Amino acid sequence: MLKRIITLAGTLGLCLSLATPAQAGPKEDLARFQHFYLKRFPGVPLKEFANGVYAIDKVSRENWEAIEEFPPYEPYVEEGKEMWNTPFKDGKGYKDCFPDGPAIKADYPRWDAASKRVLTLELAINECRQAHGEKPLKYKKGPIAILTAYIAWESRGKPTHVVIPDDPDARAAYERGKRFWLARRGQLNFSCATCHAQNAGKHIRADILSPALGHTTHFPVYRSKWGELGTLHRRFTGCNKQVRAKPFKPQSEQYRDLEYFLTYMSNGIPLNGPGARK
Amino acid sequence: MNQESPKMKTLSLFRAAGLALVLTGLANGPALAGDSAQAQYEDMYQQAKAAQKRAASVEGEWRDIGKFLKKAQALAKKGDYEAAFKLARKAYIQGKLGYTQALSQQKVDWPSYFK
Amino acid sequence: MRTAPFPPLSGMALASAMALTAGLAAPLQATAGPSAQALEQGRKIAFTRKLGNCLACHHIAGGTAAGNIGPPLVAMKQRYPNKAKLHAQIWDATVANPETPMPPFGRHQILTERQIDLLTDYIWSL
Ligand code: HEC
Repeated sequence: MLKRIITLAGTLGLCLSLATPAQAGPKEDLARFQHFYLKRFPGVPLKEFANGVYAIDKVSRENWEAIEEFPPYEPYVEEGKEMWNTPFKDGKGYKDCFPDGPAIKADYPRWDAASKRVLTLELAINECRQAHGEKPLKYKKGPIAILTAYIAWESRGKPTHVVIPDDPDARAAYERGKRFWLARRGQLNFSCATCHAQNAGKHIRADILSPALGHTTHFPVYRSKWGELGTLHRRFTGCNKQVRAKPFKPQSEQYRDLEYFLTYMSNGIPLNGPGARK
Repeated sequence: MNQESPKMKTLSLFRAAGLALVLTGLANGPALAGDSAQAQYEDMYQQAKAAQKRAASVEGEWRDIGKFLKKAQALAKKGDYEAAFKLARKAYIQGKLGYTQALSQQKVDWPSYFK
Repeated sequence: MRTAPFPPLSGMALASAMALTAGLAAPLQATAGPSAQALEQGRKIAFTRKLGNCLACHHIAGGTAAGNIGPPLVAMKQRYPNKAKLHAQIWDATVANPETPMPPFGRHQILTERQIDLLTDYIWSL
C-alpha cells in the first residue's frame, strides 16, 4: 500500500512537472495544438491548413480546385463591397466606425477591455450599425455574411494573430473557449476535439473530418450544401446540433469565447476568406 | 465501484419498477381516471421543465428536450395524457443526463492524444 | 458512479413498462441463438441513421458509405468471446476507455434496452 502511494506520488510529480512548463497557458496550448496536426499530417505545411479537408485529401481537393476556378462566393464579394460603400441614413458609413477598413478581418476576434468581452467582427459591425441608427443584422447568414465576405476578401493574406492579453478576464474567456472545444456534449457525447482532432482525416459516413487547425481562416464560407454563405457561428450551430446538443445563439458569449480560442489556435496562418466548401 | 454490468443493474431496476407497478396497478385499478392522468402528466411536465433549466444552467442542454416538451403539451391538449407523459418523461431523463454530462466535463483538459 | 435517472413511474406507464420487461426477457433466455428475424431487426438498427448509425464509424459487410473512425465490425465472436462484454461496449464504451469517440448508446438512452439487445445479437453474428 505504502509502495503504491509512493509510486503514485512519483507519477503525480512527474505529470506536474511535465504539465507546467512555466505555467501552461495559451502559448503552450498553441504549441501543443499546432504540433499535434503537423505531426498527424506530415508534409502539410502550416499555411496549407487554411484549406480544411482539401489540405489533407487529394480527391476532394481536385473537386474543390475545379470549383475555385469559378468561385461561388465571387458575386457576394461584389455585393458586400456595395454594402460597405452605401452610407447609413445619418450620412455616415462603415468607414467611420472602421477607419482601417475594409481589410480588418485580422483584427478580430479580440479582447475588448472596456466592455470585458470578446469582440468579434460581426458584433462590431452591428454595434456600428446601431450607433448610426441602423437595424442590427442577423448573425448566421444573409447580409452579414455578404458584408464580411467582402471584408474577408480584402483581408486575404494577412496572418491570423489573435492576442490573449495579460488580463485575468481575457484569460478566463480564453479558458472558457478552450473548455467548450474540449468538452463532450449532446446525447452523442462528442467534443469538437473528438471529431476535429482525435479523428481528423478519418471518414464519418462519407464525410472526411477536417483538422481544427485552420478552421477559422476562410469564413464566411460558401457551402454547396447551404447553397449560400454562412458565418462561423452558423457552422458552430450545425456542429452542435449534429451531436444532439442544443446550440447556443450566434454571437452568444459561448460562441464568441469559442471563436477566440479556436482562432488563436490558428495564429500564423494567413486569412483566405471567403471560402468554398462542400 | 460496483462491477455489476449496467444492463443487469438496469434490468433489476426495471423488474423492481415492474413489480411496484403491478402492485400499484392492483391497488388503483388498471384504468386511470382521466383526472389523475392529467395531474400526473402535469407533474412530470413540471419536473421535466426544471430538469431542462438545470441542464441549461451548466450549458448541458440536449437538442431535443424543447421539442419533446412542445409535443407533449400538444398531446396533452388533445387529452392524450399517456403519450404526453411518456414524452415529458423522456425530456426529464435527458435533462438529468445532460446536466450530469456537463458537470463531468467542467474540468476537461487536453486529452492524451494531444500529449 | 452510474445514476439511473428514473423519475417516479406512474400506474399509467404500467402497460409499457410490462411490455418492456417482457421484451427484455426474450433475448436473455434465447439459448438457441437469435432468429433470422431478430438479426434482421438488429441489422436495421445498425444501419439506420436515426438509430444506431453504426455505419457512420464502422465498416459492416453489406453497408454503404461507411466511416472508418472505429474498426471494421468483423470476426466479432473472436474479438468478444463474451457477448456481455460486447453489450457493455455498446452500452457505454467510455467505461473501458474514457477517451473513446463511441457514443454511450445505453447510458445516454440513444437506443432502448430492447434495441441494444437486438443490436448486440446482430453485431455478435458478424
Ligand atoms: C460528429 C463529428 C463532429 C463534431 C463533434 C464537430 N464537428 Fe465540426 N464538422 C464536422 C463535419 C462532418 C464537418 C464538415 C466536414 C469538415 O470540414 O470537417 C465539420 C465542419 C466544421 C467546420 C468547417 C470546416 C471548414 O473547413 O469549413 C468547423 C469550423 C467546425 N466543424 C467546427 C466545429 C466545432 C467548433 C465543433 C465543436 C463545437 C465541432 N465542429 C464539432 C463534424 C463534427
